[in-house]
Amino acid sequence: MNNYGWLIRREFWERRAIWIVPACISGTLILVALFGRAQILSDVPQESSAFVGKVYLGLTGALFITVMTLYSTLYLLDCLYDDRRDRSVLFWKSLPISDTDTVLSKLIVALFAIPLVAVLAADVTSLIVAFIVSIRAPTMIGGSLWQGSDWLQVQALWLYVILTMAIWYLPVSGWCLMVSAYVKRAPMLWSVLPLLGAYLIERFFLGTHYIAQVIGGRLAGYAQVAFHGSSHGSPAAWDAQEAANAAWQFMDIRGFFGSPATWVGLGLGVAMVAAAIQMRMRRSDI
Amino acid sequence: MAPLIEARNLHKKYGSHVALDNANLTIEAGRIVGLIGPNGAGKTSALRAMLGLTSYEGELRVLGREPFRERTDLMKDACFIADVAVLPSWMRVDQAIDYVGGVHPRFRRDRAMGFLAKSRIEGKRRMRELSKGMKTQVHLALTMAIDAKLLVLDEPTLGLDILARRSFYDALVNDYMDETRTIVITTHQVEEIENLLTDAIFIDKGRIVLDSSLEDIAQRFCAVSVAGEQLAAARAQGPFYERHVLGKTVLYFEAKPRERLSGFGELHTPTIADLFVAKLSGDAS
Repeated sequence: MNNYGWLIRREFWERRAIWIVPACISGTLILVALFGRAQILSDVPQESSAFVGKVYLGLTGALFITVMTLYSTLYLLDCLYDDRRDRSVLFWKSLPISDTDTVLSKLIVALFAIPLVAVLAADVTSLIVAFIVSIRAPTMIGGSLWQGSDWLQVQALWLYVILTMAIWYLPVSGWCLMVSAYVKRAPMLWSVLPLLGAYLIERFFLGTHYIAQVIGGRLAGYAQVAFHGSSHGSPAAWDAQEAANAAWQFMDIRGFFGSPATWVGLGLGVAMVAAAIQMRMRRSDI
Repeated sequence: MAPLIEARNLHKKYGSHVALDNANLTIEAGRIVGLIGPNGAGKTSALRAMLGLTSYEGELRVLGREPFRERTDLMKDACFIADVAVLPSWMRVDQAIDYVGGVHPRFRRDRAMGFLAKSRIEGKRRMRELSKGMKTQVHLALTMAIDAKLLVLDEPTLGLDILARRSFYDALVNDYMDETRTIVITTHQVEEIENLLTDAIFIDKGRIVLDSSLEDIAQRFCAVSVAGEQLAAARAQGPFYERHVLGKTVLYFEAKPRERLSGFGELHTPTIADLFVAKLSGDAS
């Protein structure tokens, strides 16, 4: 287990974007809070200020998590390819660390460490921005940014999002790791080309769209499986009343873990990660 | 005692290219072995197989383990430098020391720091900022601080100038080598390591051409510089290779008593480099 500490630390040393990107987003938001036009906040009617407070926390977190999830995907595509390209894999493999531990450590970084950094950055940024706004803006709106229960709910929501996204998108992560462990060049391109090829072959020869449906369903289907609230359409349709409800009312925990799609995906993802480990064992060079 | 490395019918193919063709070799503990061969002869494939970096067919035991299946365990007792340029460019020297110290049970931090102190390389420098010679020193410091039984060096001094190469080998012999350790080296610059080696293994086209200690080589092989008039008589003794140097002909003999050759001219033991050329060209013709 001690090795995992070092393996994960190693990734943070190498991929400084893991903290530089959140720091940049955070810096931008703080600058906007400091120098943006505070008057627009005075137009917010008093009755919806609680709603604004929740949306503010939600959007800040969503921004960090979205950007860092995209970064995680790029990271997974790159992590087993980059060290083969510059041959530093020969240094890593000269140490008594198994390929299983290496690959799993990268998966842990992508699925948990990076999103947790994003949540932490979102929390710190929200606090600083709320503080600035409370000083600069009219009183009502400032107060609505300091709801302790909202904060706790949002933390629970993000932990749920991190866990469920890690499970739901494991086939995507596993696929990225396989591509990264295997290709001789252009992992980004190779992550798409075989799937595109399979889609076109299926379309021309069979006239069906199963592959596109499966991939599309996986990529776009997350929110539907993990959350309630589709009856109200998009989040923009929430009204103040509904927003006052606890955030965990949106989480469809039973629905998510009860869905066969979740478990099929998990199984497939585990198989792909196992395949990536095998490829990593066999490939020490480009 | 079982040999440190033992390969029986080691076979490795890349597509249709045969890199190792039923190679057999044995390496005993406490030796410094040169694995010598032309480009594409299978040197690197052999080393990769020994280090568990690649799969193979045939039998191979290194320190009693099967390298490919047990690489993680093997790397506790064996370490390798596969070209010094492989240290990750983004890493800082102190990070490398912390990391290896963190994951390697046999790493002795004080030793690594001692080696580095001599080279005056600052811990905060990143590998990409270091010259090739400095990187070599860092890598060597990291490796020599590991209490390993086997050290494998694959072209360790490639691209280094002569000063850096010399100090690399000096450090290896003076600060590292003792009777408990074994070193396997491949290099193109055979002349440079010839006086370090205790054993030489020649490899050509995936096959082991020679696997012998230097004492045995000195006993078994003999070169004679022969002047023109003696040439026919000397050739009758059955040399396996001949070479013309400065008007004389040098004939190479294997397993011939020296007293039968001494009449033809000046006798000497061929250098490893000469023997290598002789053995490979001689066997081919």
